[in-house]
Amino acid sequence: MDDIKVNQNPKLGSMDRPNSYIGRSLPRENAKKHLEGGGQFVDDLVLPRMLHVAFLRSPFAHAEIKSINVEEAKTSPGVFDVYTSKEIDEFCTPWVGTLGHLGEMRSPEQTPLAKKIARWQGEPIAVVIANNRAQAEDALELIEVDWEEKDAQVDMETALDDNAVVIHPELDSNLFWTRTVNQGDVNQAFETSHAVVETKLDFARHTGVTLESRGIVADWNKSEGKITIYHNGQAPHMMQHIIAKHLEVNEGLVRIVSRDVGGSFGIKVHVYPDEMAVAAISKKLGRPVKFIADRLESFTTDIHARCHKISGKLGVDKEGKILAMEINDLSGIGPFSMYPRTSAIETNQVLNLSGAPYVIPNYKAVGTVVFQNKTPMCQYRAVGHPIAVAITEALVDKAANKIGISLSEIRKKNFIPDTAYPNKTPSGVPLEDLSHQASMDKLLTMMNIQEIEKEKIANLDKNVLSGYGVISMCEVTNPSPLFYGVGGAHISSQDGASIRLEGSGAIHLSSSITEQGQGTEAIMKQIAADQLGVSMDSVRVTLGDTDATPYGGGTWASRGAGIGGEAVLKAARTLKDNILDIAAAIMQTDKNSLDVENNTVIRKNGGEGITLQQLAETVYYRGHELPKGTNPELLATASFLIEGIPFVFTNSAMGCKVSIDQDTGIIKIDKFWAVEDCGTQINPKLVEEQIRGGVIQGIGGALFEECVYDDQGNMQNATMADYLVPMAYEMPDIIVDHVTTNSGRSIIGAKGAGEAGTGGAPAVIMNAVNNALKHHGTEVLSQPITPEKILKALRKI
Amino acid sequence: MKAPDFSYFEAQNIQDAIKYKSEDDEAVILAGGQSLLPALNMRLSSPSCLIDISKINNLNEIKIEGDFINIGALATHSDVMNNDLINEKLPCLVDILKMVAHAAIRNKGTHGGSIAYGDPAAELPAFAVAMDAEIVLSGLSGQRIVNAKDFYRGLFETDLKSDEILIAIRYPFLSHNQHLIFDEVCRRHGDYAMAGLMARVELDKSKINNLDLVYFATGDKPNIAQNTAKLVIDDRYDYEKLKKSLASEIDFAGDLNSSSEMKLHLATILINKILNKLER
Ligand SMILES: Cc1cc2nc3c(=O)[nH]c(=O)nc-3n(C[C@H](O)[C@H](O)[C@H](O)COP(=O)(O)OP(=O)(O)OC[C@H]3O[C@@H](n4cnc5c(N)ncnc54)[C@H](O)[C@@H]3O)c2cc1C
Repeated sequence: MDDIKVNQNPKLGSMDRPNSYIGRSLPRENAKKHLEGGGQFVDDLVLPRMLHVAFLRSPFAHAEIKSINVEEAKTSPGVFDVYTSKEIDEFCTPWVGTLGHLGEMRSPEQTPLAKKIARWQGEPIAVVIANNRAQAEDALELIEVDWEEKDAQVDMETALDDNAVVIHPELDSNLFWTRTVNQGDVNQAFETSHAVVETKLDFARHTGVTLESRGIVADWNKSEGKITIYHNGQAPHMMQHIIAKHLEVNEGLVRIVSRDVGGSFGIKVHVYPDEMAVAAISKKLGRPVKFIADRLESFTTDIHARCHKISGKLGVDKEGKILAMEINDLSGIGPFSMYPRTSAIETNQVLNLSGAPYVIPNYKAVGTVVFQNKTPMCQYRAVGHPIAVAITEALVDKAANKIGISLSEIRKKNFIPDTAYPNKTPSGVPLEDLSHQASMDKLLTMMNIQEIEKEKIANLDKNVLSGYGVISMCEVTNPSPLFYGVGGAHISSQDGASIRLEGSGAIHLSSSITEQGQGTEAIMKQIAADQLGVSMDSVRVTLGDTDATPYGGGTWASRGAGIGGEAVLKAARTLKDNILDIAAAIMQTDKNSLDVENNTVIRKNGGEGITLQQLAETVYYRGHELPKGTNPELLATASFLIEGIPFVFTNSAMGCKVSIDQDTGIIKIDKFWAVEDCGTQINPKLVEEQIRGGVIQGIGGALFEECVYDDQGNMQNATMADYLVPMAYEMPDIIVDHVTTNSGRSIIGAKGAGEAGTGGAPAVIMNAVNNALKHHGTEVLSQPITPEKILKALRKI
Repeated sequence: MKAPDFSYFEAQNIQDAIKYKSEDDEAVILAGGQSLLPALNMRLSSPSCLIDISKINNLNEIKIEGDFINIGALATHSDVMNNDLINEKLPCLVDILKMVAHAAIRNKGTHGGSIAYGDPAAELPAFAVAMDAEIVLSGLSGQRIVNAKDFYRGLFETDLKSDEILIAIRYPFLSHNQHLIFDEVCRRHGDYAMAGLMARVELDKSKINNLDLVYFATGDKPNIAQNTAKLVIDDRYDYEKLKKSLASEIDFAGDLNSSSEMKLHLATILINKILNKLER
């Protein structure tokens, strides 16, 4: 057994006892299953009488459908039927992507298929239903559309101009949402500042490239009045509500099954028009219908993220203490706000999280979110964090350089002290149990900046420039009802776990948290086995089925371990308590003298125990042997919810060292360091996988990924050959370590760990690059930082 | 992303394939499929028939023929990399192939397919031109040999006639004072380059006697930079001078990852990289 010890949480018991699994880097079983190809993904599912669909998608960013003729397509071999919005709308009501808790949002109704006007390249406008996907695609070519192209509003910066193309005339402008945060008096503080620095950063759109593309099989059973949806989503109970509401089916008769899912990153937690169309088609036809997005569709219809331009200003006193920070952020979200979480959250997080590690007495933030004719944008892993962290940390570096103190010193001067929690972000969001000081200290020890500085100076006259950066950040995890529920969304912030002892002595556990490859199943097993005192292999887990698991929110916003894990812990403790009650009755002794170890109820002071199998057999098969009045409950269910605060925050410190080839502009990340404080680590190996994977996605955003559009709003690089994600060769060594401050909100003490890497890496890489370029008096302020941008900054081209 | 309907013909020998192809204008040859099949799945073309030549015997042989190393069209990139003869006589080709795509693709993609397809960003066409290779084509009227320089005509346009199949590439041996040196710059390892250069250098002691510069990923086909090569021989590396010369010789065509000015810059510094490699 791998004994990577974490700081033990006293509420969880000693690590020296048998079956102490929490805090250990145990291998996860389902990795083996996937390696052997034993997974069951949506596309693996074949149902009798199943039909397949392909969508005709708008080739234009903005165009009117003058007429559409599907007659010839209907006669194509293997085609069952062809529908436009007219047929689909009868079976699916429209939706609106707004919520009530963040001030006024304006977004029009959206239907599965565009009615008269297509508003982004890729928007579905007709659907062919056929015996297989290839035949459906053949028929697409026979649909005749009389298009009238309209001017497209592609650029978000001109979206609010007087002569902008107003995408939804009923809304009179392209404004979706705006928010201002104002704490203290920034103007006055800037006036009294010793130094004021400013910058302006630009983040390209990118997307979440999941290994398994979006997919759905909808199966309407007319005789039962029940619809079963096999869906590779993240939030089955949210989908259950959505399907019930818009297909007008009794919510209790909607079953959502989301078993093996090949990556999600937030991409798969939204409602997509094509998927709603598939559900409607199944209801109309009474047959199972399958849709699997292909790569091209994924690039033009999966949500995009991060399209931001942000300016910032920071004022410091002589010593480098921050007096004020001001940011102004603009973001473009495509033609609709996504449903049901809205496309306001990314900007909202930017405003909430900028400056979060630091004491900043005066803070002002303005966010503006506009419509444009591009693919809809919404929440993707580390929502808003890369922008918030990058603007903050770029300004902090600039201030340090301006007043001549080191990059670590300025941060240490301004951290909210580790002893000063509970506290608040500059924007006013409550913070608890964080450790920026300890984390930065640890990071600096790991990095050895003196050595890096030496090397940097030695390289100054060489062709390869070196630079480094350090950053600190807060990561939003474990959200409470104040995130979505309060705004009217039917998205559960509570999660449940149900655990039972079966006749064979086996333990079965079900949870409303879902698995998309991050190891949810493994940590749930570890918690259950640890708390019950049973071996790992005696626990079986069921996730992702609204007919089989407790009700709850699912997996997003790094909430699985901290919320769902706590529910498992509570349920396991209750079941253990029941087991001990029954055992005490059978063994005719005091409950307190008993414990469970290695699947056996033992007497603490020696003597013969009984196995859980014996106990279960007595309860289930020979219940008459139990003393009268024994409670034979071998099933326990519990729920957990974060109350009183909006989120449980995690913090991290990151560092990296880069080399830049001055001839080619190619950036190499030589090394990356991350220190994360996510409280109790249930499985340190899985935490580190999350951090490393997150950093890789952050490297993607910083150096490679971009949805490139032309002036007409056509995406130019919608293939895996042209949309660049980092591959093995581009991945540096990532050294991970931890500081452990348990969350006081739960017994388990776990905070989330899924998003910090993605949120922080872009900032620290950009800072390191600019640290290297500083010698040449230049900088790059736009991500991805491409070789061409580097060469332009160096005035080589 | 499903290919449109096509029929499929598995050719047992070259004659069958040629016959079939000459009878159907819309039919295309299928070798390793690593370029063709993605194009079909994206519905960028819809051929009537795929003539699969991958099962034809002996078309993947790598052997010495007189003054040449002969690589059969069907030798995969991996076959070539792992071939003893190539490792001994033409080791630079092994290094070049390491930059071509990734292992899984190299296991299927063929030498002949890459040469015949003529992707301007691909390594092998430029290599063939720089090596002054001979391309062996077989058609209804028999075999003919075309010099690689004359084979590439424009963007994905080659001298291959509609009834012809590329059956082999013949590379002349490099003499002891000749070197083929190559370098390229790409965004990610294994990607098509932003710009790449194949240089055949003939040395007289440490002096360059003769130099051929052939670029890839710069224009519509392998781009030969004759005048620039002369400048390099005369006064070695002068960035501004070479850049100017390259700009007048090659019509640099920008793409998603690099603008034409970026390509021009990279093409220039690639000469320096090559010269540095030569010194080592
Ligand atoms: C992700 C990816 C990355 C890649 N990266 C690179 C790279 O960095 N550098 C690079 O050079 N290549 C790269 N390739 C392309 C790869 O090398 C191809 O395999 C090769 O270019 C074509 O060989 P093939 O055998 O697959 O040809 P096919 O795909 O079968 O055929 C390609 C074309 O050539 C024709 N053709 C094939 N063989 C013959 C023949 N004997 N006679 C006449 N016509 C013929 C076909 O009709 C077709 O038009 C990449 C491919 C992929 C999928």
